Amino acid sequence: MDNIIGKKVKRVDAYEKVTGKAIYGDDIKLVNMLYAAVRYTDIPAGKITKIDYSDAVKVPGFVKIALYKDIPGQKKLGPIRSDQFAIVNDEVFFSGDVIAVVAAETKESAYKATDLIQVEYEAIEGIYDPRIAIKPEARLIHPEYKSNVVIHYPLRKGNIEKGFSASDHIIERNYKTGFHEHAYIEPETITVVPDHVSKGYSVYGSIQNPFTTRKVVALFMGLNMNQINICCSTLGGSFGGKDDTVNYMACRCALLSKLTGRPVKLTYTRENSLKESYKRHPYYMNYKVGFNNDGKLKAMKINIIADSGAYSSQTFFVTWRSVVQATGPYEIENVETDIKGVYTNNTYTAAFRGFGSPQVIFAQESLMDEIAEICGISAHKIRKLNGFKQGSKTASGQILNKHTVSLNEVIDKALEKADYHNKLIEYKKHNEQTNRYKYGIGFSCSYRGCSLGAEGTDATSAIVSVQADGSIYILTGLNENGQGMRTTFSQVAAEVLGTDLEKIVFLNPQTATITDGGPTVASRGTLMGGNAVIDAAEKVKMRIFNIIKDDLKVHSIAETVWKDGTISRKDSKDNIKTIKFEAAVEKAYWSGENLSAYGWFKAPNVSWDEETGQGNAYFTYVYGAHVADIKVDTSTGKIEVTDITAAHDVGKVLNKLGAEGQVYGGVMQGFGYAVLEDYNIQDGIVKSENFDNYLIPTIKDIGNITPILIENEDDDGPFGAKSLGEPTLELTSAAINNALKVATGIQSYELPLTLEKVFLGKNLKKPSRQSQVAVHDSCKIHYKYADKLTLRITDIKTRTPKDLKDALEKLSKQELKVLSGGTDLIIESRMKTGKHTLLDISHLDELKNIKVNENEIRIGCGCTFTKIVNDENIKKHFPLLNKACSTIGSLQIRNRGTIGGNIVNAAPCADSYPPLIAYNAVFILTSKKGVRKVSADKFIIKNYKTDIQNDEILTEVVIPIPQKKYNFSYFQLGRRNAVNITRISIGILISFEEDKVNECRIVSGSLFHKPMRLGEIEEILIGKKLTKELINTIEEPLKKLIDDEIGKRWSSVYKMPVFVNMTRDALTEIIEQRG
Amino acid sequence: MVKLKINVNGKDHNLEVEDTMRLLDILRDVLGLTGTKEGCGVGECGACTVIMNGDAVNSCMVLATQANNAIIETVENLERDNVLSKLQNAFVEEGAIQCGFCTPGMLMSAKALLDKNPHPNEEQIKEALEGNLCRCTGYIPILNAVKKAAE
Repeated sequence: MDNIIGKKVKRVDAYEKVTGKAIYGDDIKLVNMLYAAVRYTDIPAGKITKIDYSDAVKVPGFVKIALYKDIPGQKKLGPIRSDQFAIVNDEVFFSGDVIAVVAAETKESAYKATDLIQVEYEAIEGIYDPRIAIKPEARLIHPEYKSNVVIHYPLRKGNIEKGFSASDHIIERNYKTGFHEHAYIEPETITVVPDHVSKGYSVYGSIQNPFTTRKVVALFMGLNMNQINICCSTLGGSFGGKDDTVNYMACRCALLSKLTGRPVKLTYTRENSLKESYKRHPYYMNYKVGFNNDGKLKAMKINIIADSGAYSSQTFFVTWRSVVQATGPYEIENVETDIKGVYTNNTYTAAFRGFGSPQVIFAQESLMDEIAEICGISAHKIRKLNGFKQGSKTASGQILNKHTVSLNEVIDKALEKADYHNKLIEYKKHNEQTNRYKYGIGFSCSYRGCSLGAEGTDATSAIVSVQADGSIYILTGLNENGQGMRTTFSQVAAEVLGTDLEKIVFLNPQTATITDGGPTVASRGTLMGGNAVIDAAEKVKMRIFNIIKDDLKVHSIAETVWKDGTISRKDSKDNIKTIKFEAAVEKAYWSGENLSAYGWFKAPNVSWDEETGQGNAYFTYVYGAHVADIKVDTSTGKIEVTDITAAHDVGKVLNKLGAEGQVYGGVMQGFGYAVLEDYNIQDGIVKSENFDNYLIPTIKDIGNITPILIENEDDDGPFGAKSLGEPTLELTSAAINNALKVATGIQSYELPLTLEKVFLGKNLKKPSRQSQVAVHDSCKIHYKYADKLTLRITDIKTRTPKDLKDALEKLSKQELKVLSGGTDLIIESRMKTGKHTLLDISHLDELKNIKVNENEIRIGCGCTFTKIVNDENIKKHFPLLNKACSTIGSLQIRNRGTIGGNIVNAAPCADSYPPLIAYNAVFILTSKKGVRKVSADKFIIKNYKTDIQNDEILTEVVIPIPQKKYNFSYFQLGRRNAVNITRISIGILISFEEDKVNECRIVSGSLFHKPMRLGEIEEILIGKKLTKELINTIEEPLKKLIDDEIGKRWSSVYKMPVFVNMTRDALTEIIEQRG
Repeated sequence: MVKLKINVNGKDHNLEVEDTMRLLDILRDVLGLTGTKEGCGVGECGACTVIMNGDAVNSCMVLATQANNAIIETVENLERDNVLSKLQNAFVEEGAIQCGFCTPGMLMSAKALLDKNPHPNEEQIKEALEGNLCRCTGYIPILNAVKKAAE
């Protein structure tokens, strides 16, 4: 029946992506093009009293600067409320506000010019907690709106007080979720080009919602919509994130393009993106629930405060979805929900896959498990008891009867596939014993309204244009973000017209060529766009049919089959030939038929009463359930996800690879949201600056994901299909939280479930330095020659020596920084200002040898970690070193980073150090003057400081080959499973004589001010039998040792007990090794 | 300025570039090979991965001087005479490409692995790709693609 839809097909845009030929925004290079850079504010809240760019204009290559006064059109912008500035006037509201934007001949001149823009402020005390901002006495962040509350949505169903009175139990819980960053791998980029035909501009780049971008730029520039043409480049991921941010970038570039008459490109660094781009709303949620002994919910009162950040942006829409769905997919007679979006001086918040659902699902699905436990029933049973069924009434009073309500089906299938019930019993039993590892399994379920719902204008466009030779163009107003939309739409058109996918070319949308189709959001792409494509294709199909119907001797199109490039009768009568599609098209063309058609789909009617929060909020819904199977290391608080089973009712699978891809990708993001991703912003200053401290999952971070795609065809969907993109992200965090409860008994009310959160019950944040804490009104802050605002490599010279002798000669004459692999030094150079010269020793082969004799191994300091890890002799004699080095960074880093660089850089987390100390390594330092030897433990003075002299190069590491047999154990703790900055590490070597500990070396890493041997602890073990009892005796002295050294540090409350655990575990492993 | 001799995708180039240029900039801006991407600039995301002297490296972490006399292979080298390599076909077939931005880097990390070890196990594949971040695919299709190419 289905020929192309539902099948596994190759993506239509795969070729250009897999060859590197696809053109993304930053790949665009035009003649006469200028490069732009932005000047951010130096403080999160305050009035600007002076902007001095007199030094900026002197930079060679500088062309133009644009400020607020240069804005030709509407100065304040925003999707609903125009409270936001592409370029601020005289006040800043968050760290990502842009004060000025510069265009220059090169990127470096643009960056340099912005570095030299001096700004003076009168700081205002910022408000960084929406619960404070909401108080009546709080300072108004935008006084013109008379309140810090951006929007309040109420929902009232039944009688809440009666409901509570009728409840056997009432509980109240508070939940918190934080900022969440999209972290698309492609940073934002825009290029604007003057267009002399329209006397406007063409805009290229990483644009998600072309019609929104057009609207904003036209307003900002004071032009008509038809003078701005948005031409979307291949988009490197978005997840809802390339909307407002990108619109304001486009405004800035358009302005510069106007002022210079030239094309202008602005590409963000990852630091720009993390600082300026909007995030997911943090939610503070209070749930009060009344229920009966049997688990039936009677009443739910929900109060949510959403952090809107500095601007309102999408807060109106995000919070609306939450008010509709906050109760979860449960029939509750009495509901009172209030959600308020509130201004703060934090990064502003807007659309991100899920759009107000991940937060409430985390809360309400965790709550359901807790209620089940109180009632003594299973988590499954409570969902069965309260969950939506066919004909159920939602919190907003909508009867669910126009589609298949498959909540129970998705739950049952997910639990069955994950073997939930058996594992629950098995894990509970295992966890009763005292084991280091605990196991947990938990699930969550949800319902989600598809597309924009009652708060949006929901219609979309498509063009199907058949050419005279039967080849086809498709255009839609919706935009490929990477999710596979082009393929899905091509499949839909191919299915309707019976052609091959190869006959179809999907054109990148330009706003000049197709009607506004609304934004690519709300998982509406397939649902809305698919229908529009069908509409267009069917119009063309009918026109072609009318030309050839006589040839087939039929009357209605229902009598024909369009398949495999032919059109034939359904009832194949032998003497009537089939007609090839191309032949039919040709005939129609020559008959003067219009083979191009516009398709349009408007969402069925929905309704909403603003006062009561009642109405048919969405025209259809989808249902999903996730099961998380996890293992928790109780020594450290680390969660390992073994499997996520994800069941989703998608209506119909059109694009099989695409649908599974959405599940894999969404679950991975949901896992990141749940465990790893902790956007750190303190007092308005963004601390998560790049991917080294904002951690997203790597390939090693989830064991397995099992998608289950369920098809209950929807009457309103194209071939029955509906939404999938967002449901896949919103469920995972609650499933993991519920699994954590089973594993450890810990009930968490906050995301993310970081190491500290799981281990201690709370997240730890490095406290702000006093100098960064908000200042009061009368204080003036003057910034002269701000530090490098855009991190990049500048002001370095490199010199390449012929050989080691030449290198030492150069070092003796000049102050040079030695460049080996560069994986630390280049990052440092990116941050540094001031001229410095690097001496590149990376080519010196004489430093890359590993020499072995019977007494020692000599490792050349130019050896990369890969070389060291692969060396059989090092593996054999120094397994601690092998293991430690194999965990450094990633393979790419290990292929460049050298042991010499690691040692001399002496970062607190330098992984090669602790093993070298344990093995009594000696470092050879060579200068023109001669050779010096320093033992490893003496070489490092403290973090980032060693004994090396200015004229020396660390040339060799000499490690004596152990003459005895040593048992070894090494543990390294990182937040994720790859590319970590080591949180803590421990390395142990023990030799035994008869049964007793003979030699013992215990080295800590990333714990104290430098890696150290723990002599006091070693002493306790020497001469004794290594038993569990002996290991217990080191606990107190170890705690004291750590407390004396780092007790006052903020991180010690986590590091101390965890290091004690790790030491115990490492020693226990040695007992087990010995059998 | 740095004078360097570099071989990229089989072709020799004699260049003179700024000291501050990274291998990534040389490939994208000087040689016009825009297949290699910049995602973070600090060696964390792997979007800039190329093969240098047989090893996968982050080209944003290699300065011009360090690339002298190097043999570089980028994603543009995988397709030959309009025919996709086995690895590229596997990526296409297994749904390992969504937005495609991480794809060039993933391909080069995978190729570097398969050049050294034609039949890696799952653990070895994960190790080779651990430094390549993807936000769209959840990695599983990519893992399947490399397994397929390794058959």
